Amino acid sequence: MAATATGPFGFAPAIAVLPLVAFVVTLLFGKHLPKKGAFPGIIATAGSLLISLVMFAAVGGGNAHHTTLYEWTAGAATSATNTEGVAFTFGILIDPLSALMLVIVSLVALLVHVFSLGYMNAEGETGLPRYYAELGLFTFSMLAFVFADNLLMAFMFFELVGLCSYLLIGFWFRTESAPSAAKKAFLVTRFGDYFFLVGVVAIAATFGTVGFAGEGSFVTAAETAIDDGATLFGFDAQTWVTITGLLVLGGVLGKSAQFPFHTWLPDAMEGPTTVSALIHAATMVAAGVYLVARMFGYYALSPTALTIIAFVGGFTALFAATMAVVKDDVKQVLAYSTISQYGYMMLGLGVGGYVAGVFHLMNHAFFKALLFLGAGAVIILMHHEQDMWKMGGLKNKAPVVYYTFLAGALALAGIVPFSGFWSKDEVLFDALAVGLDEPVILAAYAMGLLAVFFTGFYTFRMVFLTFHGEPRSETAEEPHPVGWPVKIPLLALGTLAAVAGFVNLAPVASLFDLEISFLEFWLDGEYGSVEGLTYHAYHDTVAEMAFEESYIGSETTTMLLSAGLSLGLALAGAFTAHTLYNVPEPSRHTQKLGGAYNVLRSNYYQDEYQVWLAEGLTLPLARAADRFDQTVIDGIVNGTSTVSLFSSSWVKRIQTGIVTNYAALLVAGFIGLLLILGALGGWFA
Amino acid sequence: MTVDVQYYVLLSMAVFCIGLFGVLTRRNALLFLMSVELMLNAANINLIAFAFYHGNLTGQLFALFIMALAAAEVAVGLGIILVLYRNFRDVDVTVPTTMRW
Repeated sequence: MAATATGPFGFAPAIAVLPLVAFVVTLLFGKHLPKKGAFPGIIATAGSLLISLVMFAAVGGGNAHHTTLYEWTAGAATSATNTEGVAFTFGILIDPLSALMLVIVSLVALLVHVFSLGYMNAEGETGLPRYYAELGLFTFSMLAFVFADNLLMAFMFFELVGLCSYLLIGFWFRTESAPSAAKKAFLVTRFGDYFFLVGVVAIAATFGTVGFAGEGSFVTAAETAIDDGATLFGFDAQTWVTITGLLVLGGVLGKSAQFPFHTWLPDAMEGPTTVSALIHAATMVAAGVYLVARMFGYYALSPTALTIIAFVGGFTALFAATMAVVKDDVKQVLAYSTISQYGYMMLGLGVGGYVAGVFHLMNHAFFKALLFLGAGAVIILMHHEQDMWKMGGLKNKAPVVYYTFLAGALALAGIVPFSGFWSKDEVLFDALAVGLDEPVILAAYAMGLLAVFFTGFYTFRMVFLTFHGEPRSETAEEPHPVGWPVKIPLLALGTLAAVAGFVNLAPVASLFDLEISFLEFWLDGEYGSVEGLTYHAYHDTVAEMAFEESYIGSETTTMLLSAGLSLGLALAGAFTAHTLYNVPEPSRHTQKLGGAYNVLRSNYYQDEYQVWLAEGLTLPLARAADRFDQTVIDGIVNGTSTVSLFSSSWVKRIQTGIVTNYAALLVAGFIGLLLILGALGGWFA
Repeated sequence: MTVDVQYYVLLSMAVFCIGLFGVLTRRNALLFLMSVELMLNAANINLIAFAFYHGNLTGQLFALFIMALAAAEVAVGLGIILVLYRNFRDVDVTVPTTMRW
């Protein structure tokens, strides 16, 4: 158990409460505030960042924090393995993982707020107070989700995050496409969350606890159940852990836009670009992967669940990367790259590479926020034109935007030494090490590796089309200038995208035998930690329950081989893009793909088949059910009433209305009764 | 001298049957009331006779109850007959059958 709520940890709730206050203030008084209510949000997120950094430092100082703030209700003991009643609480858990994530989220949220000053305010948008209020609520929900200490609280804020993204994607609700995209995002993620809710209920009912950490956590309970060989709900304990884990995974796949629930994310580009940056880098989409990392100890118990996570991740990485290749809209390319990158994180976590997955989550937060804000800057430059074929030649006209965007692109493509290289390489290395023994993981690794090439290609296709060559439209020749609120966030994130990888130089550490894998030490609880939630504990569980690692030659050889392979592919992709598109007058090469182009362009007909599922399958089924309801069910109900109506129309004739008849019936009945009773009593015998 | 109890029973039966006959054959609502009165009093005769026969007062007590009930019943009955007459200009019980369903 961790330290009590003393010292800096007493301020922990304020991390989430500050943006909530900003939400309320902006909602109520936003119209009368300067800049339409931008400042409460900036101040609040700056405060959150400050407190998060204090938390980070405190965890670095060897502490951790786990406390219960409020208890909703405590039930009677009904569960299979826990003798105490299940308690539903609000609590705070600050361990290395959540401290790191709090810093990332509040930093990105702050930068997005600042960027909004340049992106939204400069355009004289209407509804800005609403925009800033929703940003505040979004930040609040995500921060509260990050430090949640139990699954139910996590679920609540998970839902709130979904709601906020719905509101923000549909910010321009007067257009036709934005509300529809918002609804799509809401419905698709909600479909996944339905399984999540069932999973929460199943876990609470099985283990009698929903806590993430400590002795009373469901992870510990599940581990004990497996060790004891218990039978839960008619299943072997491990099978049951797999089932519940996969149910929760449904929510993760929905939020993190993994196949087959990824279709909402490209449409979500209808929202303001700043919102896309926030959704993709630090909040909505990150929430899914963060949840897997948060309850990693639980997934580590089930090799099946891990394999599914890894395979879905690897598949999504390749799947989304191929679609990004043919997009013309700069935001669409980034959208598919997000899906692809989250696929890598899932792959990393699925093979037991907890550090690799979290590392990529962190790096991705920085470089994807950077790329989206960069795309936002480009959109300002281009007077709200998003088609890359109308850009070109922006390199010299907006050098700050260009160089920061380039840093983000290098990180995304995974070119050494930018941050994305280190984390992506680690993900792939972990996948390879496990994959040498597990064919399914090897397939996932192969897909992830292949996706590296496509990532390099589409990233640099985007860069070359946007910034290089000759301007291809009038607006590209005379771009709109960008101000400091735009440049400052770009510079901050550009620096981070370039250097963030240095916190965990695993290949270098292995090669020269140095102690510089700081993120690994951090997550391993070398500083502060909560018992059981460390990389070491997870790694032992994975090794015991699921996967063996093996190497080609030695560990170092394998690591270098993997790194060389992925770097080579990324460079090959980038070089292909350079040959095809880094010319003064690039032409569309996509037509050469022939039939494949149409398939990619239509996103593998994913939307079509989902629409078909709804219209071709669900609708007829619903019609049939409706007919059954109308005819059979209603028929029975109506039939019953018809029969009684009909029979009563005959029976009522006995009521003549003449008192004499009633009296006669009374007397006749009485005499009849008398005779019957007499006969039975033996009068006439 | 005392009269045997079976004569009282016969008397009461006769009175009851006259009342019943009235209820079953008459159409005038006032005669209905009178016939019901007859049947109630037949019951009273029985009660008093058996109270005397057994030598306790329970039967007499109940006879008093029945008299009170009969008074109440006549009050309500006459009220109904008045309303009937006001609505249908008649006290024939076969006329208001339109009110049956």
